[in-house]
Amino acid sequence: MNNWITNNFWIKILSLVLAIVTWFYVNEELIKEKNMTKQLYKSSIVNQIR
Amino acid sequence: MNNYIPLIKMIIEIGMLWFFYYVILLFARGTRGVYVLRGVILIALVFIVTKQLGFERINWIFTKIFALSILAFLIIFQQEIRRGLANIGQRRWSRFLLKESEIINEITTACLLLSKKKIGALIAIERETRLENYIESGIDIDAKVNSELLVTIFMPNTPLHDGGIIIAGERIAASGCLFPLTQNPKISTMLGTRHRAALGLSEETDAIAVIVSEETGGISVAIGGRLTHDLDRESLERVLCNLYRPDKKGGK
Repeated sequence: MNNWITNNFWIKILSLVLAIVTWFYVNEELIKEKNMTKQLYKSSIVNQIR
Repeated sequence: MNNYIPLIKMIIEIGMLWFFYYVILLFARGTRGVYVLRGVILIALVFIVTKQLGFERINWIFTKIFALSILAFLIIFQQEIRRGLANIGQRRWSRFLLKESEIINEITTACLLLSKKKIGALIAIERETRLENYIESGIDIDAKVNSELLVTIFMPNTPLHDGGIIIAGERIAASGCLFPLTQNPKISTMLGTRHRAALGLSEETDAIAVIVSEETGGISVAIGGRLTHDLDRESLERVLCNLYRPDKKGGK
């Protein structure tokens, strides 16, 4: 178990950092995309009502 | 329980990303791809940071560079990528079957036999740095480490005896491999090409290079650009036991 952690330790840490950064970046982009879709949907409804 | 589902999903997704990055970094390590990969990671990080800080123009430039660098990466390293994907399918789970001591014993026995018969030999043992570039310069063997096979490969006047062999993990990866010659001016002029190649390889990588001299039959080991001469069975075994860990290699 100890070997599994210490073996290629820095590569594992770097991979973890990259994974976390990527996850949060993509998550934020997805939230923005969802919000934008909602806004577009709302504005199209408003236009239709008008 | 429902409250924990997003957290569990996040952990699983980060775990999958971690594995993806880990495999790529392991694969790139020791190859020329690592430098390009570093560049791509750096550009990606700058891209993310500039986006967060709202530097729109810089971000636009980096978006273009990043897109181009991904394309360039795929074109330049298409062979490596193809080989890496093939390796995933051919991963050898039998690696744990042959014990480290057995491999060392096979190498030592072969070296002693070659030494007795004064047959020149050069055996490079891969460690952390991958020797893919050098393996490509030789002829693929992909066989279990076996003293008889090692001796046979180095038999004079046979097609495979020129150059060195590379042991990667618990397999003989290739023979007839070409290694870079050392450029160290302090090296004795008495040393032949085989010793110079072993030193050159050990300077550029962390590989262990075992040399059997054709002239004297002496066994030497080159590690980190340093040569240790006239090793007997015990000292060769001790050196290999201390430095060679096929089961602890991350790659392959």
